[in-house]
Amino acid sequence: MNAKSIAALVLLATGMATAAQTLETAYRTNGTAVQAAFEPVRVALQDCSAVIQRGRKEIAYGTVMSADGFILTKASEIGDASGITVTVGEKVFPDPELVSTDPAWDVALLKIPATDLKPAPLALDQPDPARGTWVIANGATTRTQRRIQVGIIASTAREIPHAGGPVLGVTFEEKSKKLIVTEVAEKSGAATAGVEKDDVLLLADGEKITSTEVLGELVNKHHVGDQMALTVERKGTKMELKVELKGRVDVFGEELTRNDVMSGRFSERRSGFPRVIQHDIIADRQRIGGPVLDLDGRCLGMNIARANRCETFAIPASDLKSIADRLMSQAK
Amino acid sequence: MTDYSSGLLLGAFTGLLLLVSTQAEAARPYINDKKAPENRHDLEVIQKHLTETLPVARKATVCIDLGEGSGSGVVVSADGLILTAAHVTGGVGKEFTVIFEDGKKVKAESLGLVSTTDCAMARITDHGTWPFVEIDRDDSAKLGDWVYSLGHSGGFDKERGVNVRLGRLVQVKDDTVQSDCSLIGGDSGGPLFDLNGKLIGIHSRVGQRTQENMHVPVREFLKNWEALQKSDFVGEGPFAKKPQKGKGFLGIGTEPRAEGGLSIDKVGRESPAEKAGLKSGDILLKMDGVDLKSKEQFQDLLKEKAPDDRVALELLRDGKTETLTLRLGER
Repeated sequence: MNAKSIAALVLLATGMATAAQTLETAYRTNGTAVQAAFEPVRVALQDCSAVIQRGRKEIAYGTVMSADGFILTKASEIGDASGITVTVGEKVFPDPELVSTDPAWDVALLKIPATDLKPAPLALDQPDPARGTWVIANGATTRTQRRIQVGIIASTAREIPHAGGPVLGVTFEEKSKKLIVTEVAEKSGAATAGVEKDDVLLLADGEKITSTEVLGELVNKHHVGDQMALTVERKGTKMELKVELKGRVDVFGEELTRNDVMSGRFSERRSGFPRVIQHDIIADRQRIGGPVLDLDGRCLGMNIARANRCETFAIPASDLKSIADRLMSQAK
Repeated sequence: MTDYSSGLLLGAFTGLLLLVSTQAEAARPYINDKKAPENRHDLEVIQKHLTETLPVARKATVCIDLGEGSGSGVVVSADGLILTAAHVTGGVGKEFTVIFEDGKKVKAESLGLVSTTDCAMARITDHGTWPFVEIDRDDSAKLGDWVYSLGHSGGFDKERGVNVRLGRLVQVKDDTVQSDCSLIGGDSGGPLFDLNGKLIGIHSRVGQRTQENMHVPVREFLKNWEALQKSDFVGEGPFAKKPQKGKGFLGIGTEPRAEGGLSIDKVGRESPAEKAGLKSGDILLKMDGVDLKSKEQFQDLLKEKAPDDRVALELLRDGKTETLTLRLGER
């Protein structure tokens, strides 16, 4: 028997012509008639969320963290922040400053020249929101209006480990007990640190690299995000480099599972978060980064990844506060 | 999508009145009879119903661990009857592990299934009293009702726990209900609840669009309850394939023996025979009560069997007779 077929739901075309009664779109969970009951929260969301665009294309949402223009968003969706605009309310701010990023959380801090923004009212000093709690986040947007999507908290808050474990991000060949780099992955820490093709890998963490296995063991002692001291030999010269170990999936990509195939536009970076809350709002990856509000309009967190067809992750409010405080203090 | 006249729907529901029980029921939440929630109070009512009934629902929702994949299911009686999907159990008499949300693992086996509509029943075989949910025996779920789905999406995850998603019944048909609670692999066989925490459906399949989530209504289970309990394989698919006669696999080599019976001279590695404890040198006397006389006769008997069929083997070992019951594998 094909085991995969058990794990996955059977995909079948719908709409078979038998007696059926169908609910009009407006009355579905995210239909306009239902969403209308959330209007006060929509108004709150309008103020404390930001729309980030490159040209006319939405690439992410953002969460307003201070009256004077600090905005947090999902770092991996905005790249170097070149050519982007930030819209808060109806006002468009071109070319925001990319102040700093936090790779562990995949968060970027942007600054726009504003003075009287309404920061997201963080729900602090309380337990994680319980399963079944209504949540409200960004849906589609128009030039003047933020639309909403609604859902509920779906599961227990937790860490999402990096998929695949830590890697240097190089491929190499082993020749007479020497490892010679044959390729450096574009998104790897090795590429950032300046490792090049034909470098010979000599030492890692000060230990002699004598085989693929030895290097593998040394790398596996680390967590994703750690720095590894690497000594390489290039054209007869020894060089010492600090390489950040990234997640295997983040560097080399991943094979899609059947669940992924049915999951639409999920976030490229969707693992490796110290702590998340999870809800069932289905937001495309270009709508990630905005605030997640409760019925009181308080901010429970910031969306950080669309994980799959039915799971979206958000950074909890308390963690969001410490990330923001840290990144903003670095800026000042 | 097509709108059908309410007359047609009424026709569909009339037949179901047969299932109505007389016991007192929790009142139908008023919110289900509003076209849409209108204000904050209405939204809080939905949330309150959900959060109050959720603890019991979570305790009874299980992950069905099949080894190479997993689905979900829900316990519906204190003695451990489980409802799930036919494409999860895949057949009758299969053994698997069931995991509760708190991590407790128990043994279970599949009972009957309806392969045409994706119903299946299983039973916890470990002794115990199990947390369970009530079935909506009145078949009271209607189009537009607020519902929630539970499931061990993508397999068991103790840190995460069971996933809950909220939605409405967006399409109602005789043998399928559709909700906008999004489902994914691993949720199959998991429960769909109404706001009173009563079981109204079992997750079956999804379409490409996220609002296409199909569930088997509990009435399909109630209609077939006896067959399910009797471990019948009902229908010819598409959700489960009937095991084929002649494909049953035991995994031994035998030689005829002058005094009668067959002497085992080979036991295949990892075969059902080896797993059941058959050894080279054992003498097979009977299969299912029939005296074994020749290799040909034994093979003819086995040809009548399908994978997962049970056979009782009477054997002679160290001068003593004993009977082993085992389940055939697939050739």
